[in-house]
Amino acid sequence: METLDYDVAIVGTGLAGLRTAIEILRRDKGKLGLRVAVISKIYLMRSHSVSAEGGTSAVLYPEEGDSFELMAWDTIKGSDFLADQDAVWRFVHIATQEIRLIERWGVPWNRRDDGRIEQRWFGGLSFPRATYAQDKTGFFEMRALYDTLLKYENWDRFDENFVTSIVIENNEFKGFTAIDLKTGNFRYFRAKAGVIATGGAGQLYRITSMAASSTGDGFGLAYNAGLPLKDMEFVQFHPTGLVPRGILITEAARGEGAYLVNKDGERFMKRYAPSKMELAPRDIVSRAIMKEIMEGRGVYDDKSGLYHVWLDMRHLGKERIEERLPFIREIGLKYLGIDIVNQPLPIRPTVHYNMGGIHVDIDGKVLNASGSPVKGLWAAGEAACVSIHGSNRLGSNGTNDCLVYGYIVGNDVYNYIEKERPASPNLSQNILLGEEDRIFGKILGKESGGEDVYQIKDELKDTMEKYVHVYRTGSDLEKAVIKIKELKERYKYIKLSDKSRTFNYNLEHALELGFMLDQAEVIARGALLRTESRGAHARLDYPNRDDANWLKHTIALKGAEGPLFSYIPVKITMWKPVARVY
Amino acid sequence: MKVRIRRFDGQKEWWQDYEIDAKPSDTVLDILNRIREKHDHTLAFRQSCQMGSCGSCGMVINGLPALACQTRIGELKTESIRLEPLYNYKVIKDLVVDLTDFVNKHRSVKPWMIRKNPEELEEASMEFQVTPDQNLTFVQFDYCIMCGVCLAACPTVAIDPLFLGPQALGQAYRYIADPRDEGFEERIEVLDDSHGVWRCHFAGACSYVCPKGVDPAKAIQYLKKEILKYRLLHKKKASVKPAELVQKAPPANAPKPPPFDFKIEGGE
Amino acid sequence: MDREKEEKRYKSGLLRSLWPYNFNVERYTYTLHRITGVILILYLIAHVFEIYHLALGPAAWQQTMALLGSLGIWEKIGLWIIAGSALYHGANGLRLILNEAFGILLGKPVLPEYPYTPTSLSRNQKIAIYVIVLIVEALWIWAGIYLLWGLGII
Repeated sequence: METLDYDVAIVGTGLAGLRTAIEILRRDKGKLGLRVAVISKIYLMRSHSVSAEGGTSAVLYPEEGDSFELMAWDTIKGSDFLADQDAVWRFVHIATQEIRLIERWGVPWNRRDDGRIEQRWFGGLSFPRATYAQDKTGFFEMRALYDTLLKYENWDRFDENFVTSIVIENNEFKGFTAIDLKTGNFRYFRAKAGVIATGGAGQLYRITSMAASSTGDGFGLAYNAGLPLKDMEFVQFHPTGLVPRGILITEAARGEGAYLVNKDGERFMKRYAPSKMELAPRDIVSRAIMKEIMEGRGVYDDKSGLYHVWLDMRHLGKERIEERLPFIREIGLKYLGIDIVNQPLPIRPTVHYNMGGIHVDIDGKVLNASGSPVKGLWAAGEAACVSIHGSNRLGSNGTNDCLVYGYIVGNDVYNYIEKERPASPNLSQNILLGEEDRIFGKILGKESGGEDVYQIKDELKDTMEKYVHVYRTGSDLEKAVIKIKELKERYKYIKLSDKSRTFNYNLEHALELGFMLDQAEVIARGALLRTESRGAHARLDYPNRDDANWLKHTIALKGAEGPLFSYIPVKITMWKPVARVY
Repeated sequence: MKVRIRRFDGQKEWWQDYEIDAKPSDTVLDILNRIREKHDHTLAFRQSCQMGSCGSCGMVINGLPALACQTRIGELKTESIRLEPLYNYKVIKDLVVDLTDFVNKHRSVKPWMIRKNPEELEEASMEFQVTPDQNLTFVQFDYCIMCGVCLAACPTVAIDPLFLGPQALGQAYRYIADPRDEGFEERIEVLDDSHGVWRCHFAGACSYVCPKGVDPAKAIQYLKKEILKYRLLHKKKASVKPAELVQKAPPANAPKPPPFDFKIEGGE
Repeated sequence: MDREKEEKRYKSGLLRSLWPYNFNVERYTYTLHRITGVILILYLIAHVFEIYHLALGPAAWQQTMALLGSLGIWEKIGLWIIAGSALYHGANGLRLILNEAFGILLGKPVLPEYPYTPTSLSRNQKIAIYVIVLIVEALWIWAGIYLLWGLGII
């Protein structure tokens, strides 16, 4: 076992993780000699943020009619009034500066003819404020952040190190334990401050737009360490995912004017969101598509056995598609042989984002079960739930959430280390040896049992896809809870075939499956308990929003038999909830 | 469908054959996942996004370096597939290669935005003024996903381990061509070197296999032209300045949210 | 060069780099350029060595000429190969100078459009290569015919 000493350790290197690292190093400039460890279970540029396509919202043109209040209103109404409004107010102000700052660092935003940054329409917005760079916005932002991070000196990269637990003792963060996948060594990162930015958990579902590495490790780590998870039942289904793989077709296609048509060729969105049509927020569009399919107006695809609707972009013209949606055209050609200039694309809702996450306060500090901050631990990006997105995230709000919270958390971490000058944590060896034994002795070295990791994962994915989808019912959710409990029992008897120490993906998948099963249980139980429909959580047996009883956040803690639920109120500081129609 | 994979477990190397059924619309990555889940749990390969934007799954498929998640079985037009790890890299296990040299070479060309006045990179009241045409001069080279496939195809990398490689040189040109960058002098020492630009003799294999159309061969030849222009004629590209601050009042018919229900501090 | 590090890289090395396999045309021109370059360097050394004997006086020169004459037809064939190498290396070198110093035949930076045919390997570039190869082949064959005529075979 090796012990590595650092001042700050950041787990997860998507937009939020890299932005936090840059902010800490930028503030420091070598004064305190801070050393930052950037840890990721894959290579640094491979994080799923590179697949973000559509855009990043910010108020850049107040002289043309945009305003901070408008952006805050769009975000809060889009979240179905479950967002904490003071956090949203702070967020919209910082987003503007972030867009311009990363432009300085090299992001090639699309421009108007006079050289200023161009913006476009997106779902749920009342003003075209989504800044974009062709249709690979997340990728260009990641490139700029990665390149800028290379400029600094006092940081070390730990690629392909899988973090297995967060060490917290007496409400104080004491480090991360990890496995170096390259050699199989067990490592302990003894850090004075830690940041979790591991992203979402799309791999729980069969059809998802998320990467194979998005297994929600941050959620599982926090849950196992006894930290509360907030609002996990709100899983966003992006309406346009390619059939049958679930690859993301960006919302920008609808922003540029694409139509959603059903089997009869009608633009069915006029029945669900008459004023915004296809540009309604994602949960409304997803529900509309699923309702069309449930009522028999979906198109059947024999090759995959799935029902879908069409996304029609033929009327946009080849030039516009080449300039603004080239990646979508490539995806259509590559995976289905369909050229969107001539034919419509088959699409279906796909899992895309987790609105819920680790319970943090407005500065990004992780809060413990009693609501007070854990000393030295922060979370940023999709892994954290502040919550800004409430029960539904608007399109183009995810990337700026990562950037803004990277900035806020970076500054907060730096202030903490500068003011308090914490000492390197002291930890008894028993905890570390226990953790090492759990992984290498009990999971890797186990000889008994006969369950297969991949078999259990398949069944979990099918269960979640079938029972915890866009439209949920009480009986389906109960079946899901029972099945997940059975899978958790079977998980205790898994046996690994690969016993080597180098690049043992079998072991990594087994540990990830442990995290996934925990979160699946939290999601399914939370969805069962919430007897209303709000935002992305839609129940057929309780179809209306219930502000009197359910205007609160769900908090889930690890208990002996399963998650324990409690509720905390939403911070309403600007607008009271009204009916949400588009 | 017969699949033949080059295996390596730290000591010995061997070819291993698998028999798997596959549709023409499956990708090589789908087949690898199926092999790992159903036949052989010990197979090691990298994957992440499965849609051609992260660059993890670079490997040599039937003799040509490519991304596994983008290569469909139908377009390979053969009954058997041969998979090997990327050429010119050290192999750690099976199809997983060591990318440390690759990352270090990239870092050595200083691939970040450099301005003469470093304060301009710290504050952001207005953006730089870049027209769409100026954008076109460098955006193609910014598509690089750092997959490492170009270095597997480059013959010079095969001969000379110290050669910077098409990826690093392409990224150096991306920043030199960027109208916002002013760091040509800082990078020229590393580039104008015997292991820098001049080892490239335009074999073009890097552009041929690049999965995103970055065309590093073109970038390197343009880079040579820039270096020659600088050394012989002392001329280099001009750079842009920040746009002007605009201070106009919003129009009268701007969309407005409903009025606040509560009083907020610091509201506008 | 770090020999040990070289060996551990997968399928690396000089011979592997010169084998174009199923890559693009330009990689074949690279291989030929390298091989002809090596032939020309060897020829240069041999030529300087041969001419040096001139300085040693007429006897040494006659000896060198007799040595070369004793090779018989191989000397002519060797010269023929060197002629072809010089023609190819020169013509391809001119094309490379145009590409590298002036940026001709490379194409402008464009927004990549699927399926991503790189402009530096475009039709114009390939036409230039084929024209060069055609001209060089023609001149080489003419040189060969001239040689055979000189030998009295045709």
